[in-house]
Amino acid sequence: MSAADGRDRACAAALLGLPGMTPVRLARLLDGMRPPVAWAAVRAGTHPADPSRRFTGPARLVEPDEVHRRYQDAGVTVLLAGRAGYPAALVGDPGAPAVLCASGDTGVLEARPAVAVVGTRSATPYGARVAAELGRRLAAAQVVVVSGLARGIDAAAHSGALTAGPGAAPPVAVVGTGLDVPYPKENRVLWARVSSTGAVLSESSLGTRARPMVFPARNRIIAALADVVVVVESHRSGGSLYTAEAAARRAIPVCAVPGSVHSAASAGTNELLIEGCVPVRDADDVLAAVALARQGRGMAAPVPSPSGRRAPPGGPDPADRVQCSVWEAVDDTPTTVETVLLRTDLSLAALTAAGEALVDQGLLTAGAGWWSRA
Amino acid sequence: MIASIPSAVLLGVDGRPVSVEVHVSNGLPGLTMVGLPDTAVRESRDRVRAALVSSGFPWPRRRITVNLAPSGMRKAGAGLDLPIAIGVLVASGVVDPAAVAGFAFVGELGLDGSVRGVPGTLVLADPLADLRLVVAEEGVHEARLSGGACVSAPTLSEVVARCAGRRPWSEPPTAPPTGDPNGAEGRWPGDLADVLGQPVARRALEAAAAGGHHLLLVGPPGAGKTLLATRLAGLLPDLDIPTARDVTRIRSAAGELRPGAGLVARPPFRAPHHGVSAVALIGGGSAAMRPGEIGLAHGGVLFLDELGEFPAAVLDALRQPLEEGIIRVSRSRGSITYPARFLLVAAMNPCPCGDAGVPGSCRCAPAARARYARRLSGPLLDRFDLAVRVERPSASELVAPRPGEATAIVAGRVRDARRRAAERGVPVNAALAVRDLDQVAPVDGAARSLLERHLRAGRLSARGLHRVRRLARTLADLDGADGTLAVPHLTEALFLRGSRALLLGEEVR
Repeated sequence: MSAADGRDRACAAALLGLPGMTPVRLARLLDGMRPPVAWAAVRAGTHPADPSRRFTGPARLVEPDEVHRRYQDAGVTVLLAGRAGYPAALVGDPGAPAVLCASGDTGVLEARPAVAVVGTRSATPYGARVAAELGRRLAAAQVVVVSGLARGIDAAAHSGALTAGPGAAPPVAVVGTGLDVPYPKENRVLWARVSSTGAVLSESSLGTRARPMVFPARNRIIAALADVVVVVESHRSGGSLYTAEAAARRAIPVCAVPGSVHSAASAGTNELLIEGCVPVRDADDVLAAVALARQGRGMAAPVPSPSGRRAPPGGPDPADRVQCSVWEAVDDTPTTVETVLLRTDLSLAALTAAGEALVDQGLLTAGAGWWSRA
Repeated sequence: MIASIPSAVLLGVDGRPVSVEVHVSNGLPGLTMVGLPDTAVRESRDRVRAALVSSGFPWPRRRITVNLAPSGMRKAGAGLDLPIAIGVLVASGVVDPAAVAGFAFVGELGLDGSVRGVPGTLVLADPLADLRLVVAEEGVHEARLSGGACVSAPTLSEVVARCAGRRPWSEPPTAPPTGDPNGAEGRWPGDLADVLGQPVARRALEAAAAGGHHLLLVGPPGAGKTLLATRLAGLLPDLDIPTARDVTRIRSAAGELRPGAGLVARPPFRAPHHGVSAVALIGGGSAAMRPGEIGLAHGGVLFLDELGEFPAAVLDALRQPLEEGIIRVSRSRGSITYPARFLLVAAMNPCPCGDAGVPGSCRCAPAARARYARRLSGPLLDRFDLAVRVERPSASELVAPRPGEATAIVAGRVRDARRRAAERGVPVNAALAVRDLDQVAPVDGAARSLLERHLRAGRLSARGLHRVRRLARTLADLDGADGTLAVPHLTEALFLRGSRALLLGEEVR
């Protein structure tokens, strides 16, 4: 890194960290200007994009090289639009951030193909399982899994990708907070593992805490980085629908995992399917979609399934009529015991005994007051 | 001249004898009262003076000293008005001491000389049982429940005339209680038939009533938790005589026994609001250390709606009575113990938004949900043998309801189950001793391995195991199954027992 390049990054990092800075304002400040020039103009109060001189006072309190040293100490690379290291997928994107912070291996950002696996934070066991399987099998098939490190589907997809073993493609995360502020806290360990195996990106400065608007904003970066976006589960007005919308605007194919029509957590994804998104059941379906997308073909035509028919789901011993009737009354999505009771007309004692046996055989998953098919 | 008149004051749920000593002597006219009177007692000097004058008695223009013995105990309430008035009359020579010998007095005086009832008449009559107790007309039936000889008079001048034998003790015009003396409480707010659907919650309610197992109902707003809980009191059998006495006594001490009421026959149902203070819940307020809601729920149901909204300190005050069936309240003015053996029923939402339960249905942040669940301390949660989800009934159940069983039918099964428990020597199965479980709740081989699996997996603690066996015993009793417990009743007990995960909506296994 040349001295001039280092100064560019330092000034960009300093601008990014000014209070009240947004991606749009930053893009205007850096539009057609080298960062040191923009920085000097902001400091002098002569920058044409800052006529009200709102950043002048704060800028005079900051020394860019000190800011940059903090980034380097934290192991964070500052990537500038149009310079080496900036993800090629974002070049030419209308919403591309002028400055990106990255930790981990930035070389991963150029690895192709990449698939975004996103979804609701309040995932059902079904959604979490599908996301983890997709993450694992896609990573094993050398597909970079991009997600947001949020709770629920995001976390499951990343965890899945990390379990794919050695030789698998590393995951990429795009987060809303600063790279030194793991959020949500329970994903701290996962965050560190993604950062050490793959890369974590953020368009926020170090120290930026979680705020409601940063998460929809980063979704456009997730979409832009991916060849295909897969929405595993989404509520009717879920944040992952922003990702789907951002992808659609960039003509990136959007796939959705079908869910039960009774599951609130699948309402958004089922809606996407109605609107014409490609249904996917497993990694094979996604890989087919990726292949089509990379051939530059449209996604409107139905995708043939490469894996063929699935094995029929196992069931209980047909001789045990009580267990069979309970099994038939339980859905793939969590079904309350009360619902099963009303469907079967058994006594609660007989029902719970049959349920216990089915859980023991691994056919049912039991929750507090509900069962679902395993 | 000195007069000493027996009376009593309330402390907690006990009457304590008090001797009202009145001394009239020469000196500056006035009345001094000593012996730790509280405000109501101190004010009695004005009521007594007015009542005496209105009744046509002379007020001695001399120095009057009233001592309430034992002088170390605080005295509360207006019931000492009448004995003070009698004491003044005796000490000033208006009434012959021989006329009031053998009598005790409890009553409040009106300014016109009328005698009024006081709260706790039944309890006050206890320590005075070997005397003839004179009370207000409205309190005489209540006082007689104590078994002592009680008489009444409408006014102070009547009291004096009847004591002196100038007029006969006549019965008050109000009729003695007949039939269900607490008629208003015999009418429960509704029948179990009003509850649509809810098979799981109904079963839990029935088990709670039959086995005395504390019950926690968790569900979204509008699911019918409160409706269910209020139906519980109707399922309980009538109180037995000793419990009825305790309940009547506590209610009398709290001043909540209706005038003219006899022994309380039906179990009480108390539902304090979640703004309740710890003192109002456990008792000990005022100089009389009035019993609190849990005392008033003795023998019946204490219903805590919106359990998550109760302050943690208030909830933790429940732990001693839940464990020991009594409550010990200590204050600077003394310490009292009263019975508090009640069936605890609580209702709460599973999370702030109220929709948690089945995964994916709640939109609360996990941290907010965990915080909400933490409001219940583990030890308190552990006291609930039954914890079930109450779901909103589906539209089809509301529009074309299957008629639910009526209270009378379920109450019959509850009565039978309680009879089986009584044959084991306990009032309810929840009271079964651990050492008796192997004898009264044996489990068969398959059930034993089921329990072992749950114990090994850490889903069941040693204490949880005993609770599950007691609950399974109750469930078997309700189904009329005697003898060894089999797998179905144990899996049912394990299911109805619920867990903390019920609040979090987590996957268990």
